[in-house]
Amino acid sequence: MSIETLFGSRTAITVPDVVSRDDAAAARERAVFSRYALLDRGSYDVAIPDEPALCAIAIELARVATGRSLAVDDARMLRLVPGDYLLAHHDRVYDGFPVEVMLDLSPAPVPGAEVHYRRRGQAFFRAPCVPGSAAIVERGPTVTSNHTYVSKLHAGAVVVRLIVLLR
Amino acid sequence: MFELGAAWSDEAALTATWRAARPFPHIVVDDLVAEARLPELFAILEEEAVERNEADLYAFDATAREPQTAEFRALREAFAGTLAPRLSRITGHTVQRAGMRAYAYRPGHYLLPHTDHQDDLERVLAYAYYLPSPEPPVGGELELFSCEVAGGDIVATTAAKVIEPRANRLVVFEVSDVSLHQVREVLAGLRISLAGWFYR
Repeated sequence: MSIETLFGSRTAITVPDVVSRDDAAAARERAVFSRYALLDRGSYDVAIPDEPALCAIAIELARVATGRSLAVDDARMLRLVPGDYLLAHHDRVYDGFPVEVMLDLSPAPVPGAEVHYRRRGQAFFRAPCVPGSAAIVERGPTVTSNHTYVSKLHAGAVVVRLIVLLR
Repeated sequence: MFELGAAWSDEAALTATWRAARPFPHIVVDDLVAEARLPELFAILEEEAVERNEADLYAFDATAREPQTAEFRALREAFAGTLAPRLSRITGHTVQRAGMRAYAYRPGHYLLPHTDHQDDLERVLAYAYYLPSPEPPVGGELELFSCEVAGGDIVATTAAKVIEPRANRLVVFEVSDVSLHQVREVLAGLRISLAGWFYR
């Protein structure tokens, strides 16, 4: 068994078209966001979601991708607008190999707005902003992620992501 | 190369400006280089290759961490040799050498809020010198933040000052764990600068 298998991320895939446009819009509408702005770490809106149907989708996607039977450990919804970002050192490092499923609830694609999963600082998986898609990453203890800066060149852009951590 | 202008003759005034500056000590000095010397400066930079640099914190084009040509290395040494003694007196921090890279920020490039402080590095002062641009940038300002600290952690950040990247302007600021700053995204044009740190 390699060191990477022991400590690194194992599964890292994207799956298109798992959330309908209407369901994404409804989830965005229900969310109650508050602003996070410790600027040395991030600038974004965050909400505690109450989205059992979307979490069920995440659990099923993770089961198919990893063969593991998992339950929701944590969930949050992030909204980023032009000028927003979340840096890697602001991300948590998790023990074990939880699976993170990120459902893209954005109303439209935003060029360059990506989530980068990093192992020891090096990006090994990039999830672009593709509305309705899911990114599934089996995280290891050395994996962190960052949400890239959303350019002000894309006026009116909105990126919304439901991030579900499963164990 | 670095024939300092009149502003540098009154070091007491610069010291007072440094000490009074908020949110953390800094000075802004215009007309660093005699205009007649700028073509020489550009000629040196034209020989230095730039590459795209990208991480969670930044996106810009820059030269390598160490100068690749003897001319650029000489420029760095001249810059440090001219300014280090003066900045030591003005800031009260003894500095001797300086690093230097050339940066090109194009539309969509940025450097997000951060401090330059790292325990294992001996960065004392940070600087940026803005060069004339064929397409003056929209955006690309240096923004300084004030930080509220509790228990050794930053618990609040507030935008405090914006400095335009005006051609032939030098900005120097103190490196500390609360000298939070960013380069705002360039929205159009080209922002060219020399930047780096002065070390003990």
